[in-house]
Amino acid sequence: MKTVSEKISFIDTLTLQSGDVLSGFELMTETYGELNSDKSNAVLVCHAFSGNHHAAGIKDGEKKPGWWDEIIGDGKTIDTKKYFVVSLNNLGGCHGSSGPTSIDAESGQPYGASFPEVSVSDWVESQKLLADHFGIDCWEMVAGGSLGGMQALQWAVSYPSRIKKAAIIAASSKISTQNIALNEVAREIIKKDENFLNGNYLTKGKSPQKGLKAARMLGHITYLSESNMRKRFGRKLQDPENKIDADVNYEVENYLQYKGEQFAKTFDANSYILMTKAMDSFDPAKDFDDNLVTCLANAQAKLLITSFDSDWLFPKEYGFEIQMSAIKAGINSTYIELQGDYGHDSFLFHSDRYSAALKNFLNSNE
Amino acid sequence: MNNQLQSIVLDWIPNHSMVIDFGCGDGTLLRRLAEKKSVAGYGVEIDGEKINSCIANGVSVIQQDIDAGIQNFIDMGFDVAIMASSIQCLRRPRNAMQNILQVANECVITLPNFGNWELRLGLLKGKMPSSAQLPAKWYETKNLHLCTIADFEDLCAEESFNIKKKVYLNSRGSSSWLANTFPNLFAAEAVYLIG
Repeated sequence: MKTVSEKISFIDTLTLQSGDVLSGFELMTETYGELNSDKSNAVLVCHAFSGNHHAAGIKDGEKKPGWWDEIIGDGKTIDTKKYFVVSLNNLGGCHGSSGPTSIDAESGQPYGASFPEVSVSDWVESQKLLADHFGIDCWEMVAGGSLGGMQALQWAVSYPSRIKKAAIIAASSKISTQNIALNEVAREIIKKDENFLNGNYLTKGKSPQKGLKAARMLGHITYLSESNMRKRFGRKLQDPENKIDADVNYEVENYLQYKGEQFAKTFDANSYILMTKAMDSFDPAKDFDDNLVTCLANAQAKLLITSFDSDWLFPKEYGFEIQMSAIKAGINSTYIELQGDYGHDSFLFHSDRYSAALKNFLNSNE
Repeated sequence: MNNQLQSIVLDWIPNHSMVIDFGCGDGTLLRRLAEKKSVAGYGVEIDGEKINSCIANGVSVIQQDIDAGIQNFIDMGFDVAIMASSIQCLRRPRNAMQNILQVANECVITLPNFGNWELRLGLLKGKMPSSAQLPAKWYETKNLHLCTIADFEDLCAEESFNIKKKVYLNSRGSSSWLANTFPNLFAAEAVYLIG
């Protein structure tokens, strides 16, 4: 699989939904496969909440493959022998794209909390400039799970003529009240870390890792299903030799401690808050009198909406709602419910029906 | 669905109409309707394999249990609803029939006729009968509410469903004199346009 990692600089001025203006920005990208001569085989994959540009393959020196490695690759569901797959770290992220950890040219200091609020439609604007950069007029498909699925939906709304298919997986047209509430708890935990310093920890050489870790531990629980946790950990006690913390009793505690700690080492607290805010505010129907049907009326892309029945963070009713609105808007749209063993995280993993549906959708013609 | 039945359904459905096919299987009928009649169609199916065939066929499909979900499709703007060889698989066919006429102005229903003489003969021999239309063994069949043509038409009369058109087909899938004269005995399948 031909893989290219590249940080791309844009000199374009990007006016964000908040009214803030970015005069130039950078996007960290990774591409897989090759763009064909008429540039008609391009697939954009959008990452979820804490993802990044590294979607497939294993990087030198790393153990874990990219976040959608089970789906993207030679001969896989999104076949990189056939398609040119573009993945990026979203604006406001902390893996190489412009975000809170980047240096603000004006002050010479990291942006920190002063990095502007970024929305899902801002991401789509930046991704449109990325498509222009590659000379891609029309994506064959834009796909993503969770917050990534929201971007796929926004693409269909924002640029009807530049996207043929949108795979909206484990997502919704707006998140649930419960989900906003959970995000607020996560933000609160981070902000109350003594090293958060109103978000200006970088300039002071501090890091609110404890808060970030705890926030991630909470988040992690919401990505899994109750039955998955039961099957995986049950009430097994943690063996004493591998305890992360002396207070840990059960395996599941140790797992969350470990995952949270690993995450806190590689993620930025301001980015975390920014991403949750982007998720909370996503609601494309808001500009259309809260009418999702009107919102979708101009969309031309075919939709594949996929929900997982073990996903309690984005319950299947939310996917079904998009489907019903799409029908009323006269859009070709398919809705499927999959079992999914992993709760919300099910979208990350290959399963026969899931992969077949996504593959058939991507390869289908008019 | 055999060719004869398919051409009847194709013939009845107006060009450019918005169609919903309950129990759409692999989406073949909707695909043909899109090709021949420029129909905007959606299928409703519960079987995962068949849904994936629909997706491969480029047919829009909604995974949904018809009994539980049919009322979701009321007032969605459908012109025609199709229920081809599905009604006998439902838990509440009467309820589905009542709802389907709220889903669309007209509906096309096809059903296997359990009154057909070959099936009667099978039953006379003391075994659950099978035929080309009803091939599955009793312990494997998805059919829950089989009926005869007379039964179905009784239900239509009770519920004041207006049968606008009907065609009876024999076991070879053609419209014969015998099947049309004594449908309840000689038709293997019936197709109705109700509105």
